[in-house]
Amino acid sequence: MITVVAGPCGAGKTTWILQELAQMPMPAVYIALGADTVPIDATRVTARFPQVEIFHHRPEKELLQRLAAEVPIYFELGFQLETDVPLLEARPHRRVALVAEENRDAGWQLWADEVICGNHSTLDLQAAQLWRAPLTGQVFDPPSLDEMLIELTGGAYGNVHRVKGIFELPDGRAFHVDFVKGLPGIEYTELNLPHWRSGRPDRFSGIEVVGWNLEQETIAQTVRDGCLSDGAIAHYQEQYKALISDEINPEESVLA
Amino acid sequence: MKLAVISCIHGNYEALNAVLSDIDAQKADQIYCLGDLVGYGPYPNAVVELIRSLDIPTVQGCWDEDIVEGLNACECSYPSQLAEKRGRLAHEWTNTVIRPKVREYLATLPMTLRLDNLCFVHGSPNSQHEYLLPSMDSFAALERVLSTDADVLFCGHTHVPYVRNLGDGTLTVSVQRPGKDALETQFKTPVKQIVNVGSVGEPRHGRPNATYVLYDTDTAQVELREVPYEVAKTCMAILEEGLPPIFAWRLARGMEFAERADDPSHVCQR
Repeated sequence: MITVVAGPCGAGKTTWILQELAQMPMPAVYIALGADTVPIDATRVTARFPQVEIFHHRPEKELLQRLAAEVPIYFELGFQLETDVPLLEARPHRRVALVAEENRDAGWQLWADEVICGNHSTLDLQAAQLWRAPLTGQVFDPPSLDEMLIELTGGAYGNVHRVKGIFELPDGRAFHVDFVKGLPGIEYTELNLPHWRSGRPDRFSGIEVVGWNLEQETIAQTVRDGCLSDGAIAHYQEQYKALISDEINPEESVLA
Repeated sequence: MKLAVISCIHGNYEALNAVLSDIDAQKADQIYCLGDLVGYGPYPNAVVELIRSLDIPTVQGCWDEDIVEGLNACECSYPSQLAEKRGRLAHEWTNTVIRPKVREYLATLPMTLRLDNLCFVHGSPNSQHEYLLPSMDSFAALERVLSTDADVLFCGHTHVPYVRNLGDGTLTVSVQRPGKDALETQFKTPVKQIVNVGSVGEPRHGRPNATYVLYDTDTAQVELREVPYEVAKTCMAILEEGLPPIFAWRLARGMEFAERADDPSHVCQR
């Protein structure tokens, strides 16, 4: 069965899919249309549910095989309602819209089989800008990352409606960061991924910002300013390795 | 005698003018300044010239020292890599625009000033760069005040004002000697006080208003003053001078530009 999930920016589409997957102890497929080189949602999904297959630039034939095997398939659409998905044509699918009461208009009601209450969105689609950057290999100075996100979500670089990202920290952990205007605070969630403590992480990380009047070059520069150098990464990783070694062999470290 | 104690002006001429007007209205007899006349803000020369013209006794702040001696910060100067990059930008800009006479004046400023049982420093008696945070260990805080031989220590540098009373107590020092009984000595300490006067030009208390302190030497009463000023004018000047726009954004929100200490146990190594 294919489930297609749509809704305004920050409505909670991926969160809803994660809730569905949590109730389903079996393989599933997740596809986020339009993620391109910045698959933040797909990384979040697979970090939590490794059994979920991410279909990103994979042959349609393979997807049809999963469909034939009755593997549940979740399609997440971008926040601008894109109904023109050739793969879905002539295939039965369930359409779910996550929309707040305030955002419900005839378009969503007509499109969806099921409308679920999502987060309220104040984003003006006519003025909306999307800025994305892959950050694979970058490791952040944690207080710089905090400060950058406070400024970004506080409006220092334009009107920001949504920020999401995956960021690597020098202790080897990767975090998913989520901000939606109108909801309290910036949410940090550690991803269930191995701690990367040998050089620059060779796995996806990235940031996506949605808003208007965005100062994209300044955002990019501020993000760069918070990234650690090779030397700093190596220094921190050595410190964490030593710390772990001390925890494992406390007597040896005292004797040393 | 009513004293007005100001600190951390950081080239913010508009804020200094507003605070001086308030001090005038409060009829203070004498003003003391705890340094950081320059750095981050757009009017470093004008601020120094105004302080000099009013003959205000002033100690040297960490930014004043950096402009004289060059950057040589301990890790406590910056809470993050981002802050360090911004701090360096501000230092380079200030270093470029500062006039030779102003630099010479900053070089003459003392580390501490005394008035009877009062001592005035920028950060701590140890260093202009050391933060006396309100959460600092009591023993360490007491040691800093005792080292000055004063009863009240006025400081700035954190940009968040506070008053901390260190009650009278007894310190017991025990020295272990091999093969002998421990040698124990007791010290009695009287009540001491740390008064952090906040910041005139770069407040970090969550509002953009300047802060300073009035102190009555007869009653030992401390009054914290918060003074609104035309923040927008300083923000505009920051942009006109080509300083990073984020400085203006943060100033308008009482967020401070870059520096901030957050480890009360850190001992500055500068």
